[in-house]
Amino acid sequence: MSDARIAPPSFGARALGSAPLILFAAMLVYIGLNAPNFLSLFTLELILVQSLPVVIVCSGLSLVVMTGGDDVVSGGIDLSIPATAVLCAGIVAQWLSGDGGLGLATVMALLAALAVGLVNAALVTRIGVTPLLTTLSMFVAVVGINNVVTQSRRIGVDHPAILWLRDADVLGWPVSIPIALLVALALYHLAHRTRLGLHMQATGGSRDAAEISGLDTRKLQALSFVLAALAGFAASFFLLARGSGSSPGTEDNLLLEMVLATFLGAAFSPRRVVTLWGAVLGAILVAAISIGFKSMGVDVFWTGLIKGSLILIVVAFGSVAQRGR
Amino acid sequence: MKTIASMLAGATALSLALPALAQDDAELSLDGKRIGIAVVGTQHFWDREAFNGASSRVEELGGEVMAVDGGRDNQVHADNHDILLNAGVDAVISILGDGAVEPKFAAMREAGIPVFTVDHPSEHSVNNTTSDNYYMGTTIGRLTADALEGEGRIALFNAFENSLRICAIRTQLWKYVLQDYPNIEILEPELAEAYANAPEDARRQTLDLLSQYPEGELDAIHVGCWDQPAIGVVQALEETGRDDDVLVTALDGGPDTLEIMAEEGSPFVANVAQQPNLIGQISAENVARYFADEELLPQTYVDVVPVDGREGAVEAYEELGYGTLN
Repeated sequence: MSDARIAPPSFGARALGSAPLILFAAMLVYIGLNAPNFLSLFTLELILVQSLPVVIVCSGLSLVVMTGGDDVVSGGIDLSIPATAVLCAGIVAQWLSGDGGLGLATVMALLAALAVGLVNAALVTRIGVTPLLTTLSMFVAVVGINNVVTQSRRIGVDHPAILWLRDADVLGWPVSIPIALLVALALYHLAHRTRLGLHMQATGGSRDAAEISGLDTRKLQALSFVLAALAGFAASFFLLARGSGSSPGTEDNLLLEMVLATFLGAAFSPRRVVTLWGAVLGAILVAAISIGFKSMGVDVFWTGLIKGSLILIVVAFGSVAQRGR
Repeated sequence: MKTIASMLAGATALSLALPALAQDDAELSLDGKRIGIAVVGTQHFWDREAFNGASSRVEELGGEVMAVDGGRDNQVHADNHDILLNAGVDAVISILGDGAVEPKFAAMREAGIPVFTVDHPSEHSVNNTTSDNYYMGTTIGRLTADALEGEGRIALFNAFENSLRICAIRTQLWKYVLQDYPNIEILEPELAEAYANAPEDARRQTLDLLSQYPEGELDAIHVGCWDQPAIGVVQALEETGRDDDVLVTALDGGPDTLEIMAEEGSPFVANVAQQPNLIGQISAENVARYFADEELLPQTYVDVVPVDGREGAVEAYEELGYGTLN
């Protein structure tokens, strides 16, 4: 057995790991100086409200990464969460449009999310398919199911509960913000303040060591996929509220922002690993940058290039920093 | 029938709306105004051209453009209106979008920011500039029936009838015309095209459809609201060698689909072309008219060009300024 101890990250690795964060911070400063009305409470409210679905799905993804390890190919990844969120939103919208009750619609959406999570878990932990391939396939399948459920049509929702989530405020701030915060805090508590969460982190840190310690790593990883699907379920209500219904195609953008925000969030961690709170901050930061560029009037034909470049930078610096550990 | 009657009433309103376009616009100005332009996406010709037309005209009139692009995601498009609201623009031109934008329009109206829509009728909009969708629907109905010589089975792509008013008008009037052709059967269930990656999605769905309906059992495929899916439909027909027995009809008539129509032996036989760049320009001019205290009608209609067969495509391509086709 090797007696090598885990060395703290070198200064170079720390600097490289922080580079995306420094880049984003510099961009924010630049935007703050150049975008009209950017430094205002209304902008902050916009950033928070627009980031809420991403915050929730990022929380779910971070649980999977923390449990499976942060290697995107062989470790923990769940790309199906945005599709699950859109499917749950579609089920609720479809049921409500047929004059069904919200309670039953919620139960059906919850069951659908659980089914997605359990299938992901079984494929990864029992069959041995890689999480990347499993959840990418699941993303496609779930979007297909949603197309069947909604017939690829937009379904408007005017249920009072959904409109309340969209319009109500508390102390002048949209009520959706504290509700999403509570969901994220609950997941944070689970991940970082409970024995179960520590076991999940131990599994992601070193699966061999966790197994030697007697942890059932397969069960823990399976649980992470189920929790991620439940995060998708929770996010669906924020999607419904934000869009006053379900619109086809929302999953693509949500997927992109989820991956970007979660791995950007690793830059907030001293060890440059994905954490739940880092993912949440990453989601807010991505929304801030996105709104900032738009507020500055950046040419619409350039925004795709900018977003794609940011993802490349985050992923590249993350890889370089990991090599330097 | 009430719906159809209201559509035809709208068509009549066209003649009342057109004089507004004839006004002298030499004195129109947006000098000192910052105009937000929210477009649902810029991937498709129609969206991009409407956006380009509105942007360039705002600038020509001395205004400053603040543009936001929804990336073909209706949700992002709706959220982008919040950014324009926060930026305190003087007016907004909103191009396309679904019901998700309505609460955003309401918030803008409450904040005193006038909203001008393009191809999206809304109670919160000062004015909606759009093609004559009533004429588009009836014309493509007649062209479809003529191409089928009054009989046959036709499959319909129709995902947006319930969510986009312009699509409802076009599709329902197409169906209205076909009611007079008892030997034309519209197949059920209708097909639902995708918003994003529409050609590829339609290609796959058409391949499935063709396996369901062997040669002789399907005569045409119509796309009810636009023509990007028709590109994929034609691809699928050519892949399977069914381009001789299944005709394709659709709406929008951008240069890409007109080029397909102009190919020898193309199954794509009828279209109605719009002028998206002009629509965008007129919407920008309407903003200027609003600030000049001119009275605006709720809807401004812009002429469309029927495209009948290969020859029609060649002519329309040139007439719309896209160049020449052999």
